Formats: sequence, C-alpha cells, structure tokens
Amino acid sequence: MQNYRFLPTSLLVVATLAGCSSMPETNPSLNEARNDYTAAKNNTQVINLAPTELKQAGDALDKANIAADKNEDTAVVTHLAYLAKQRVAIAQQTAEQKAAEKIVTDTATERSKIRLDARTEEANNANDKANKAQLNAEVSQQQANASQQQADASQQQAAMAQQQTRDAEVRTSQLETQLKELNAKKTERGLVITLGDVLFDTNKAQLKPGGTHSLQKLAGFLKQYPQRKAQIEGHTDSTGAAGYNQDLSERRANAVCTSLVDMGINSDRITTHGYGQESPVASNDTASGRQLNRRVEIILSEDNGNVTSR
Amino acid sequence: MKNISKHQWYKTIGAAGFAAVIMAGCVSIPAPTEQIATAKVAVTNATNAGGNEFASEDMRAAQDKLDRAVQAMTAEDYKNARLLAEQAQADAQLAETKAHAAKAQKAAVTVQEDNHVLRNEIDRKSQ
Repeated sequence: MQNYRFLPTSLLVVATLAGCSSMPETNPSLNEARNDYTAAKNNTQVINLAPTELKQAGDALDKANIAADKNEDTAVVTHLAYLAKQRVAIAQQTAEQKAAEKIVTDTATERSKIRLDARTEEANNANDKANKAQLNAEVSQQQANASQQQADASQQQAAMAQQQTRDAEVRTSQLETQLKELNAKKTERGLVITLGDVLFDTNKAQLKPGGTHSLQKLAGFLKQYPQRKAQIEGHTDSTGAAGYNQDLSERRANAVCTSLVDMGINSDRITTHGYGQESPVASNDTASGRQLNRRVEIILSEDNGNVTSR
Repeated sequence: MKNISKHQWYKTIGAAGFAAVIMAGCVSIPAPTEQIATAKVAVTNATNAGGNEFASEDMRAAQDKLDRAVQAMTAEDYKNARLLAEQAQADAQLAETKAHAAKAQKAAVTVQEDNHVLRNEIDRKSQ
C-alpha cells in the first residue's frame, strides 16, 4: 500500500509533461523564418534603414527558436515562426519605405538646387544684360561727348575763323590807314611810297631829322607785316653830272636802308637801288618838276613776295 | 486508516496539489482580450494607410484572422483566439508597412519625374 501511494501523482505528472512535448523534427515554418531573417540580416539597406524592425524580427525568431528547443507544441512553434517571418517582412518593407522616402527628400533637395541654379543663371543673365546695357550707355555717352567735343571744336574753329576774319579786316583797315598816311600808291610792282626831297638837303645823303618821322611810320608798318619786303630806290633830278647823280641816289637809298635797319628792320628784307636821274616822274625843266624827281621810292612787296626790279 | 500518520496524509495532499497546479498551467489560458484589441487597432491602421489598395492579400489575411479570433473568443477557445489575434496583428502591420513603402516609392517616382520635367523646362528656357 505504501509503495503505490505516490503512483497517481506520478502518472499525472508524466501525462502533463507528455502533453506539452513537441515532435523532435525541425519545423518548416521555423526554417523559412530563419532563412528570411538571415537574408534580411545580410541586406545593408535593412541593416541601415530598419535596425529597430530587424531587432524585433530577431527577438521574434529567438522566441520561436527557444520554443522549438523546448520541444513545445508544433502549432505554437509554427505560430511563433510565422510571427518572426512577418516581422522580417515588416523590416524589409520598412527599409524599402525609408529608402523611397530618402529619394523623395534628396529629390526635393535636388529640386531646390535646380531652381536655385536656374535663378542664379537668370540673375547672371540679367546682370550681363544690365552690364551690356550699361556698357552701351557708356559708349553712347562717349560718342555723344565726342560729338559734343567735335561740335565745340567746330564752333571754336568757326569763332576763330570769324576772329581771324575780323582780325584780317582790322589789319586790312589798319594797313589801309597806315598806307594812306604814307601816301602809298598801288602800282603793278606793288605799293609804292614816295618820300619827297624833304628827307635830304641838296647834294646830301644825310637824313634830315624831320625826315625820320616818315621812316618811323614805314618801320612800324614793316614790323607789323614781317612778310613784306621793301625795295628802296633812290632818284635825282637831272641837275649835275649823271655819274654823280647815280652815286647820290645810291647813297640816299642806302641812308634810308641804314635808318630802317637802325629802327629794327632786318636788312634781309630790304634791297636798295640807285637810279640816278634816269627815272624822272616830272619834267626837269621846272623847279617843281625837279623837286618831284628828287625822291626816294619804297616799293613794298605783297605778303611773301619779292619786289620786281624796275 | 488509523495507522496512517498525520504526516503521511499531508504528503498525499501536497502531491495532488502540485499536479493540479501543473495541469492548470497547461490547460487554463486567459482570454486574449488585449491581443484582440491590438489586432483590431492594427487592422484599422492598415486600412487607413491604404492597405486594401497596396497590400490587399495581407489585408485579407489580417481581416480573416481577426474575424476568426473574435469567433474563437466567443467560443472561449482562448488559445486559438490569441494565436489568430497575434497573427492578424502581424499581418496588418505588414500590410500597413507595405502601403507606406508603396506610397513612398510612388512619391519618389513622382518627384523624380517632376525634377526631370523641371530640368527640361529650364534647359529649354535657357536655350
């Protein structure tokens, strides 16, 4: 009796343990879950983008493995293996989602960059245009300035020309006035100024003090018109020997020349010639005629001209 | 029975009690109310995420298992109710994730196409 005392209890325990044990062969669902998990664990996208979900899948697989190790009911192991398999799939899908979301973000960034680049280019183009316009404006301004300068220059030239004309007119009128004062006459040879015998005493080649007045006017005229040259010609009346008169006329011409040089006229501009009694302008028969013949004529060239000899 | 001591009597009671506790541990399963609720929420979330459109098979599986879990609950088959509820939740979560992934991929394609169009437009303009 004592030997069988614990028998019912022991049987119950054995029955309970047998009910909980599972079959020893590997569960195909668990194999599938393990393979899926291994694949996910080797997938860098899953590792990087879904680490939490991968960990959850690993935990679920551990549970299934432990249940299998403990030989738990096939249905329980299969169930846990199924849950692990779904967790692996969730991890993979999460990784896909994250990858796609990253593409969206990157593409949005790229879009902003494209827009920015486009705006930058637009701005650069506008800037270029503005610069070109500015350059054109500057060129136009320069052209305008140049035109203005040309206009100013033309105006100045016109003014100068007018001034020159006025000056020339003034000079002409001055010349006319001066020539009038010197009793100049226009001839084919040029302007002829006749200085009467008032310059010299009879038979003298020495200029009288009063005579220098007329010569000063002449010197002033020659200084004012430095291009003009002068030929000084001495003449006498027919009184006395022709040779003497010739000599006297030369000396008188030279006296006038010397006097003009003394007054500052370059001697290169002056030529002298004595004609003696050969070129009378009046009759030597009368005293008044002879007075007219005793003379010094000064022939003034035109500008830059030379005086043609008699 | 008089010769049975008090000590031996206790021993018998103790052994019987131990066995009873072990049997209760294997057979008695609490009602998986929480699992059913979690599965329902997961199915709702998956539906809202567009699971029917993007992962119809998983959605069907989740819904089917949830329905069967509820039926098992009614039948007080708590063990199956729990298993079905847990699987329904897993299926629903997978469907939801698939829907999110598909939407994100669609969005990626769209923005990439948009960029392509934008770039072409800009290139045309600048020519």
